[in-house]
Amino acid sequence: MEVTLLIQATDDSFRILEDARKQAKGLLDSASILEDARRQAKGLLDSTVGVTSETRQMEKQKIQAIFKGAQEAKSSFQNFIATFFLLFVFWVLLSGKFDLFHLTMGVICSVVIAHLTHDLLLANVRVGETRVIVRRFITYIPWLIYQIILSNIHVAYLALSPRMPIDPHVLRFSTKLESDISWVTLANSITLTPGTITMDIKDGEFFVHALDKKVADDLHAGEMEDRVAHIFMEADHIYIQDALDVARIYVALRKWG
Amino acid sequence: MIRSSEDIIIRTVSRILVPFIQLFALYVIAHGHYSPGGGFQGGVILGASLVLLLITYGPSDTRRHISGKSVAVFSSLGVLIYSGIGFICLLLLGNYLDYGKLSGILHVTPAEARSLGILGIEIGVGFTVMAIMFSIFFDISSGGKPPEDEKE
Repeated sequence: MEVTLLIQATDDSFRILEDARKQAKGLLDSASILEDARRQAKGLLDSTVGVTSETRQMEKQKIQAIFKGAQEAKSSFQNFIATFFLLFVFWVLLSGKFDLFHLTMGVICSVVIAHLTHDLLLANVRVGETRVIVRRFITYIPWLIYQIILSNIHVAYLALSPRMPIDPHVLRFSTKLESDISWVTLANSITLTPGTITMDIKDGEFFVHALDKKVADDLHAGEMEDRVAHIFMEADHIYIQDALDVARIYVALRKWG
Repeated sequence: MIRSSEDIIIRTVSRILVPFIQLFALYVIAHGHYSPGGGFQGGVILGASLVLLLITYGPSDTRRHISGKSVAVFSSLGVLIYSGIGFICLLLLGNYLDYGKLSGILHVTPAEARSLGILGIEIGVGFTVMAIMFSIFFDISSGGKPPEDEKE
């Protein structure tokens, strides 16, 4: 039942996405026709200069290399700053003293630790997405707590019923998630939910122990995985929130076009 | 002999936790004269964070964060800070570790001088305990053999 609902929602979101894509393509086409005309006119104007496509390609690559280098340097420095702020907030929470002496000590300690460990705490984080990830992660937590309560009730029912209808087995599924942090988030979410325990992750394959069929089916439906993918913006996840976002863009495009 | 752990969960969680453990250790050291804790406890927590790095990332990666030389430097630097503060008190015609006498050179009241003196002692103890804890664990785990990067 839930699976069919999910499939239906997926189909719907696919259709909306497809519509939006077509619309965007049309816009792009018209834009590119304009661009072509402009380029032709420009070519007629300065045909004496004669830039070949190869040099243009080289220029583009050079600019890309510069941009990439700048971004990498920035990301290392950004990591340091982000680590420093996280650690300083942690310090203030622990210390609870707001006089100058303790805050200065907090700043010094945070700078030292951030300098030593900024490559540990924020490794594998891509530039410019941290704020979105943090916001989505915070909205994920209430849902996780709700799931934990639901499966708590289910496991309590299993344990208290006289026949104890358990059917333990080990699931093995490969995930579409890509980075270590999302694997760990999914694995810990599975372990936190009563009735399922992540035993191992090997090369993107999860080995999960499930207490009975219902728990295993819930896991197989993959909502948790979708949500984790949504947090870390990974895989080509079709997620209801994304469909809604696309729909908003679609409406805007229609109004505009 | 300890090798780096293959388990992705352990590796990721320890990589995220180590900075917070280390900051907590510094908090314990810095607030040792108000609340439970102090140089020894904070030093042990710092050492434990390094041991956690060692058992998840293996000796060679850990040596990049703290080399054998810096372990030796930290362990003796801590003793130097401790005994140095003690001897400064002796030079100022007090007893050994009589922090009240430090008020003359720090330009603060004797009570504040005692507070700062104890903080200095805690930092010294913390350094030494951290370095010694880590080096004991490292030497036992490597079976007494010198690590590769110090052989040549």
